[in-house]
Amino acid sequence: MNRLNKILFFAILITAGLSSCKDDEPETKKAGEVTIEFDHVWASTESEFSLNKELTHPLLGEKMTFNIFKYYVSNVRLKAKDGSWYTMPESYFIVDADPAGSNKVVIPDVPGNEYTDVEMMFGVDSTRCTSGAQTGVLDPAKGMFWSWNSGYIMIKAEGTSPNSTSGNFTFHLGGFKGTNKVQVTKTYNFGATALVVDGDREAEIHMIANPARLWHSADKLAVKNTNTMPNTIAKTMSSTYYDAIRFDHIHN
Amino acid sequence: MISYKIRFLLFFALIWNFSCQDDRDKSDFGLTYPDYFPTPHYQFGKNTLTREGFELGRALFFDPILSVDSTISCASCHSQGHAFADHNTALSTGILGKTGNRNSPAMFNLAWQPVFMWDGGINHIEVMPLAPITNEVEMGEDMLKIASKLSRNPSYSKRFQRVFGEKPIESQQIFYALAQYMSMLVSADAKYDRYRQGKESLSADEQDGLQIFRNKCASCHTEPLFTDFSLRNNGLEVLNDDLGFGRITLEEADKYKFKVPSLRNVVLTYPYMHDGRFRTLDQVLDHYSKGMVHHNNLDPLLMTNGQPGILLTHTDKVKLKAFLNTLSDYTFISNPLFSE
Ligand code: HEC
Ligand code: HEC
Repeated sequence: MNRLNKILFFAILITAGLSSCKDDEPETKKAGEVTIEFDHVWASTESEFSLNKELTHPLLGEKMTFNIFKYYVSNVRLKAKDGSWYTMPESYFIVDADPAGSNKVVIPDVPGNEYTDVEMMFGVDSTRCTSGAQTGVLDPAKGMFWSWNSGYIMIKAEGTSPNSTSGNFTFHLGGFKGTNKVQVTKTYNFGATALVVDGDREAEIHMIANPARLWHSADKLAVKNTNTMPNTIAKTMSSTYYDAIRFDHIHN
Repeated sequence: MISYKIRFLLFFALIWNFSCQDDRDKSDFGLTYPDYFPTPHYQFGKNTLTREGFELGRALFFDPILSVDSTISCASCHSQGHAFADHNTALSTGILGKTGNRNSPAMFNLAWQPVFMWDGGINHIEVMPLAPITNEVEMGEDMLKIASKLSRNPSYSKRFQRVFGEKPIESQQIFYALAQYMSMLVSADAKYDRYRQGKESLSADEQDGLQIFRNKCASCHTEPLFTDFSLRNNGLEVLNDDLGFGRITLEEADKYKFKVPSLRNVVLTYPYMHDGRFRTLDQVLDHYSKGMVHHNNLDPLLMTNGQPGILLTHTDKVKLKAFLNTLSDYTFISNPLFSE
């Protein structure tokens, strides 16, 4: 190679390097946090849901006041525009209607990108139901693990009702195996606008969940006010609840 | 991405770490068992077995601090002298003198056990203690409260830090420590074992008893652990609404099935069966030969010519009992390593 050629060669290399930098620039987004917020609404009117407030269930025609309403969400993944998935490690949450807890699922360190879908599991996967003592939100000390029949209580709904013979209702729904397995994985598409993750830029996914749907195909409280084990009732109540959870909008 | 160099170093650090740990555990402390035992079901996983972890578990096991009113410890219902069954009572007494509806089982060779409780409802040794601790008639306590009681106790607080590092006490550490203690309770030094190891011989009656046992009992009470851990119905008369395995699976076919108990140390653990209904081995053997009632889920192995029951002559029974006596492990029940 003569000298001129050498210079030319390097010049090309440098410009190629520069231009590729330029091309990349608009694409480089910084990692950031994604929040999935669950807004709880009541019945078909989607009126405000909150604990310690008397609500009427239109289908049952019964009154109920919740003291506890919480459930597990786990294994959250985000699908990017290019079809790749970001899977959150150690992804377990208790979504709690009580403001003392949290109705938010927070995913830190999501790679900067544009995302089109979110996938999550309602409930806890069978692996964690059979792997012994866990920590964090899966700590059995959270009161969401059955001591006598190992497995997580995936939905806990408790409260009072004048229509219940005992005056109370207690639903601990779960079961991770067999025909009454409760946990399900669902994917939600965000539609036209993608969720942009870029550093401090706000990235929120808003979901709507409707606790009234627990009784979409279940007995009235006057008939059945408690169920605290894995069975067909747990299966039915949880699936009608999970099925009605929907994506509402993103905040970006 | 971690560079190759760092990965390489990490790899060596890991190997080095493991080899260190191995050296320590092998020379000093670990789960040991005869070569005719199968591989333990519980492999400890993230719960690294150490002498200090085991000793912490032992301290917790004997400490009533785990109960709501500090009156009942695990050892109240699981006594070493009885191979960790209760003190020969049918139904154990928990807090405030309350009793449950099942007999407190013996505890040994738990590292081999895939499921726990008479109904097999508990699937892991680490979460096993949650049941007695939170049960209202046993210890009536809450894991968070125990964690805070232990944190306020300077001696425990120090011991937890030594075993699990400088972090707040969580239920997992309590479960890990108890799992270490429970897993180490290996019973493998009965006369039967010394016979298996060629160190001692059986008398003629014991030898005959072993043959009868292998013919009539071993399909469920399988050697060398003397249980196959399956859930079965052995033809006990139904006395209450305890559905056993059926309570867990809700299947008609599982109703009134209970976990096959190990017969190691059986002479020491009376009374017998899930509700402690039989006080003597004679009663148990009479049950198998003539006391069985028919039940839809009665195990087919226990039918003879279409009738419930298995043939056992009087001499068979005498010899069977002689054999069952060789399953008592006096080394185990007096081992100071397992004592308070
Ligand atoms: C009040 C008495 C009582 C106390 C206290 C108690 N247990 Fe038990 N334990 C029982 C009874 C009864 C069972 C059988 C329960 C069943 O099958 O439903 C049992 C079952 C067990 C089993 C299962 C054994 C098997 O073969 O399946 C283990 C292990 C055990 N207990 C460990 C413990 C530990 C650890 C503690 C302390 C944290 C404890 N127990 C406290 C009475 C007690
Ligand atoms: C088909 C399986 C099966 C066979 C065969 C069998 N057993 Fe059992 N055995 C069981 C089951 C299941 C239990 C627990 C039943 C319960 O408590 O409801 C049990 C319980 C026992 C107990 C009570 C142990 C305790 O700690 O409470 C003794 C003793 C016993 N069997 C001895 C024998 C003898 C001896 C034989 C042979 C003559 C035998 N079994 C054959 C299934 C079997």
